[in-house]
Amino acid sequence: MNMSVDLCGVKLKNPLIAASGTFGFGREYDELYDISCWGGISVKGLTNEPRTGNPPHRIAETSSGILNSVGLQNPGVDAFIREELPWLSRMGVVVIANVAGATTDDYTEAVRKLSDSPVDIIELNISCPNVKEGGVHFGICPKSVSKVTGAVRKRCLKPLMVKLSPNVSDIASVARAAEDAGADAISLINTITGMAIDARTRRPILANITGGLSGPAIKPVALRMTWQASKAVAVPVVGMGGIDTGTDAAEFLIAGARAVMIGTANITDPTAGPRIRAELENFMSENGVDDANELVGSLRTD
Amino acid sequence: MKSAARDIVSRVISNERIADRIHDIRFALHSAAEPPLPGQFAHVSVPGVFLRRPISIAGFDPASRIARLIVRVAGRGTDILSHMKTGDETRMTMPLGNPYPIRELTGGEIPDIWLVGGGIGAAPLLYAADYISRLAGGRAGIKTFLGFRDAAAAFGASEFEAYGETSLDIGGFVTDALTESLGKKIPDAILACGPAPMLSSLQKICARSGVRAYASLEERMGCGVGACLVCNCGISKDAGDEVSYKRVCRDGPVFPLPEVVFK
Ligand SMILES: Cc1cc2nc3c(=O)[nH]c(=O)nc-3n(C[C@H](O)[C@H](O)[C@H](O)COP(=O)(O)OP(=O)(O)OC[C@H]3O[C@@H](n4cnc5c(N)ncnc54)[C@H](O)[C@@H]3O)c2cc1C
Ligand SMILES: Cc1cc2nc3c(=O)[nH]c(=O)nc-3n(C[C@H](O)[C@H](O)[C@H](O)COP(=O)(O)O)c2cc1C
Ligand code: FES
Repeated sequence: MNMSVDLCGVKLKNPLIAASGTFGFGREYDELYDISCWGGISVKGLTNEPRTGNPPHRIAETSSGILNSVGLQNPGVDAFIREELPWLSRMGVVVIANVAGATTDDYTEAVRKLSDSPVDIIELNISCPNVKEGGVHFGICPKSVSKVTGAVRKRCLKPLMVKLSPNVSDIASVARAAEDAGADAISLINTITGMAIDARTRRPILANITGGLSGPAIKPVALRMTWQASKAVAVPVVGMGGIDTGTDAAEFLIAGARAVMIGTANITDPTAGPRIRAELENFMSENGVDDANELVGSLRTD
Repeated sequence: MKSAARDIVSRVISNERIADRIHDIRFALHSAAEPPLPGQFAHVSVPGVFLRRPISIAGFDPASRIARLIVRVAGRGTDILSHMKTGDETRMTMPLGNPYPIRELTGGEIPDIWLVGGGIGAAPLLYAADYISRLAGGRAGIKTFLGFRDAAAAFGASEFEAYGETSLDIGGFVTDALTESLGKKIPDAILACGPAPMLSSLQKICARSGVRAYASLEERMGCGVGACLVCNCGISKDAGDEVSYKRVCRDGPVFPLPEVVFK
């Protein structure tokens, strides 16, 4: 059975990638299982300078998902390259550096540093809903997407993937803007902005008031957007949002994704990585699929 | 430190209501699980709610490999947990987090350690008392200060009495009896767990009397293993230092009390 897929010239041994922000830099989960079972790992969102993130509480539970407002807490791109990357790049997985910034210069500076490092792919996070400046503001309209993608493209010596926000009215035009500005791949979706209230105290649960919704709650929206984006662009699309089983992963591939990312499932099940991989292999053998690429974009609407 | 946590299936072997909304649940641990230490917790999968629930280890018997969790019904998840029956199974990742530094504190001597627990915070201290007592061959004089909001919610007092002098406060401040005792004697260390206001006032008392203290903190969790960064608490190594965020699940839940920044 062939599980491997090609993502803008980078070979993944299987189409499963740990989603940014739910997997740290890989060390914690490597204590529970061998993380080389993943095709790739997208690390916690990195900024040029270290960031402390938002005050607690940063998480609220819903019936089938979570809201988070971490706000890009990270040690900064230099510390990542110095302290985390040497270890992670020996783990036998494709390493994807997720990058965020408050200004275009923040993005280009971080991307310049990462271009000299052994990361395999750079994922531009222009869709974080939890920071005051930058983040999602770059991702909400085709014009700003085009501007930041174009600026980064000039400095980026690695394959460039642009991660889109679902908090937009027309995902196809945003995806096209990223492609036209030089993106080698598109990933989507980041979290959907939401909020949670404690009715008893009449206070928001999250200190940041609003947060980003993820998990099975957002899967139908994510599937729809993956399908729309993959029809709109020629570059590969990486789909995510609520994937919790191997069959969920297959659905995203069928909708048009070349690979998928798995986020919140790591939080609810710390061994989701090897489990979902085994489930996807099972799904394929039970359904007579001997190449994962056969699933990609195979949605039948006749 | 390479964590020895494993995601395992555990089976309920008994579930007893020991006080108002307080359940003492014993689990037979899967053979792959490492023995937990006092202060560490299990991240327990609860059928019917989305996230796992962090619950302190309230006891562990190495011979029978039975772990004890004491659960206070605080909402939907803990309510479902409190209804688990003998034979029911659930997954849990354990042991997680840093324990109380008991071995470092005792350093081979018979320790003089005091325990301060508020409400459900008494649960991890039960295991601490048992552990210290075993380390000291039963000769440790463990002094315990317990506080509960009302008599119906009180639990564990008679168990703590088996380990040493125990004071029980109902509806007042657990720190009152402690302050009085500290006026007479300063122990090697205080281990605490309880609501933030209790810990905050304990912090001031301990600073005044110069006693070392460690507290187990609570914060809402996601992964429980240190990867998602949602369980942050403010920590400042020295007074006046910049506050940095640490992960309760991984860098804690036990922190040196002077370093904790309360809101
Ligand atoms: C390290 C640690 C050890 C703990 N040990 C124990 C213990 O031994 N016994 C015990 O009864 N309780 C313990 N708690 C508290 C327990 O985790 C919460 O009471 C429980 O998560 C509440 O879930 P719920 O569904 O009943 O309440 P809800 O209020 O419905 O929960 C909603 C969400 O908030 C979270 N949450 C609510 N209160 C807390 C809290 N105090 N701490 C962390 N998350 C919270 C829940 O996990 C859930 O995600 C501990 C908490 C931590 C962090
Ligand atoms: C706690 C948490 C932190 C996240 N941090 C980031 C981040 O730093 N950068 C990013 O691009 N996406 C981040 N995300 C979004 C996820 O990568 C993913 O896009 C989203 O959660 C949807 O997938 P899921 O439903 O599988 O979790 C985060 C999500 C969660 C739950
Ligand atoms: S709960 Fe995920 S880092 Fe602590």
